[in-house]
Amino acid sequence: MADKLERVVVEAQVPLDYTYNYRVGPYIERYIKGLGDKKILATKCPQCSKVAVPPRKECGVCNKIMDEWVEVGPEGVVDNYTVGHVKIEKGLVENLESPALLAMITLDGATVPLLAEVKGMAPTDLKKGLRVKAVFTDPAEDSLADLSHFEQVG
Amino acid sequence: MRNVAIIGVGYTPVFVSKRKDVNIVEMMSESVDAAFRNTGLTPDDIDAVTFGNMQTFEGLNLPHLWASEHIRALDKPVLRVSTGGTVGMSVLQAAYYYVASGVYDVVMATSWEKQSEGDSQVGLAGIVLPEAIAMVQHGMDLFGIKGLGFGGGGSTGAASYQAMSYLHHSGASPEHIDKMAALERSNAVLNPYAHLRKKTTVEDIQATQMVAYPLRFGHTCPTTDGATTCIVASEDMVKKLTDGNVAWITGVGYAASDPCTANFLEGQITDPAEQMPAKIAVEKAYKQAGIKDPCKEIDMCELYNGFAHQSLMWLEKLGVCKEGEAHQMLDAGALEIDGEMPTNASGGVFSTNAIGSSAMNRPAECALQIMRKIEGEHQIPKKIRKALSHGWGGLFQYVAVMILADEPAKS
Repeated sequence: MADKLERVVVEAQVPLDYTYNYRVGPYIERYIKGLGDKKILATKCPQCSKVAVPPRKECGVCNKIMDEWVEVGPEGVVDNYTVGHVKIEKGLVENLESPALLAMITLDGATVPLLAEVKGMAPTDLKKGLRVKAVFTDPAEDSLADLSHFEQVG
Repeated sequence: MRNVAIIGVGYTPVFVSKRKDVNIVEMMSESVDAAFRNTGLTPDDIDAVTFGNMQTFEGLNLPHLWASEHIRALDKPVLRVSTGGTVGMSVLQAAYYYVASGVYDVVMATSWEKQSEGDSQVGLAGIVLPEAIAMVQHGMDLFGIKGLGFGGGGSTGAASYQAMSYLHHSGASPEHIDKMAALERSNAVLNPYAHLRKKTTVEDIQATQMVAYPLRFGHTCPTTDGATTCIVASEDMVKKLTDGNVAWITGVGYAASDPCTANFLEGQITDPAEQMPAKIAVEKAYKQAGIKDPCKEIDMCELYNGFAHQSLMWLEKLGVCKEGEAHQMLDAGALEIDGEMPTNASGGVFSTNAIGSSAMNRPAECALQIMRKIEGEHQIPKKIRKALSHGWGGLFQYVAVMILADEPAKS
């Protein structure tokens, strides 16, 4: 009986709800604007010629500013991939309605892969070496979502 | 530099998913008091304290400001270290540097995590978010609505690319990941300080849900509440304070690659299984420890494996075997507790992940194996002279290494 009457406070809840706002910086701003024109822009290292997409300012390996802009893609090759079967919402894992195909894609002209969603094909058809092309959102929204996803070429 | 030894280890009484019976600082103090109990020392013997956990996981950003009393560090120098998944090892390395340099003689290193009081995936997002937004990865839905939260199932989704690359390069099959998972979960049954302690078969692992191919739920680590403390001392103080049964830290290494880019978030390193920092860090540590042929000289490994494929991958990256050999060693039984290269006899991070302390538990387990002070039934039968411990984290590109031995390094 005693334990039923005892009041126990086990947890103190601390609800924090705040949306942070991060600046994307001039490189990503130019990149997003490029997507609106259906162009994927990258930057190139003046020393080692590596081409990074999304574009970045520094080549850490060479300690150089990557100040040359080049257009890459819109086609590329799947370098690595996974098939997502779950989603996580507010800490809870739930099943996806259908598997999500995610790939690391090396775009033509780039040396660094872009992580992107691939749509329009069966999970078992997704393979390393597969050629894919970018699908853009139309009309453009001036957001990252302007590069919607990738599809198999042909 | 002076010789430094781990003279004692203290764990919380249990590592479980929810410690509802204690609050955060009370849990920290349990491991600190255990370390004092196990060494016979008191707070008066400690010159300085190093301290750390995984930043953001509990939403508590400056724990060193209010933890000092509870970790028996009042009026002492308290250095807080924060390096992500490697933090437990970093805290211990900081203590090592203090003593090796001659600044202090006896230093306590303590690390903790109470994952049940926060959200690990939100914690990870708190680390990744600014970088990920700046890097703008398409198809990454940071809030997980499409199941793409950090690439298809939280951190498991991110690790799946690494597992794919490991399988591709090593010739191992997904069944080897299942087998490694079953081995470590079975080791954890023997370890009273492990979290997931259920005898597990390959079939049990294969029956778990696929999260992000090739990784299943049964290939992933749990989230755990727990804390770990190590006390380190100089050679002079080892003579004064102990019976000589200690574990010497003979080599340390640390390296990061392509900072903050995860090797798959934009970085110029395009293969998440390349792990060059592991090779750089371990070469430094082997050199310092005078180890020329790690395949023969290392007697056991405690590797940081949030995911089951990583144990196999790290054995190769850390030079304990050649590329493509780890899964063959697994098949031959070499990685078992009584095998030639016992690997994660404790059950690994894969079975117990109070993340702040996970990278400290690796060298702590090596030290206890060398001292033959393992509680439970996972004591390695053969004598351990040289042990390799390893921490991994950051954004897939931060690696810490520590070599422990039964004798100090020869000067």
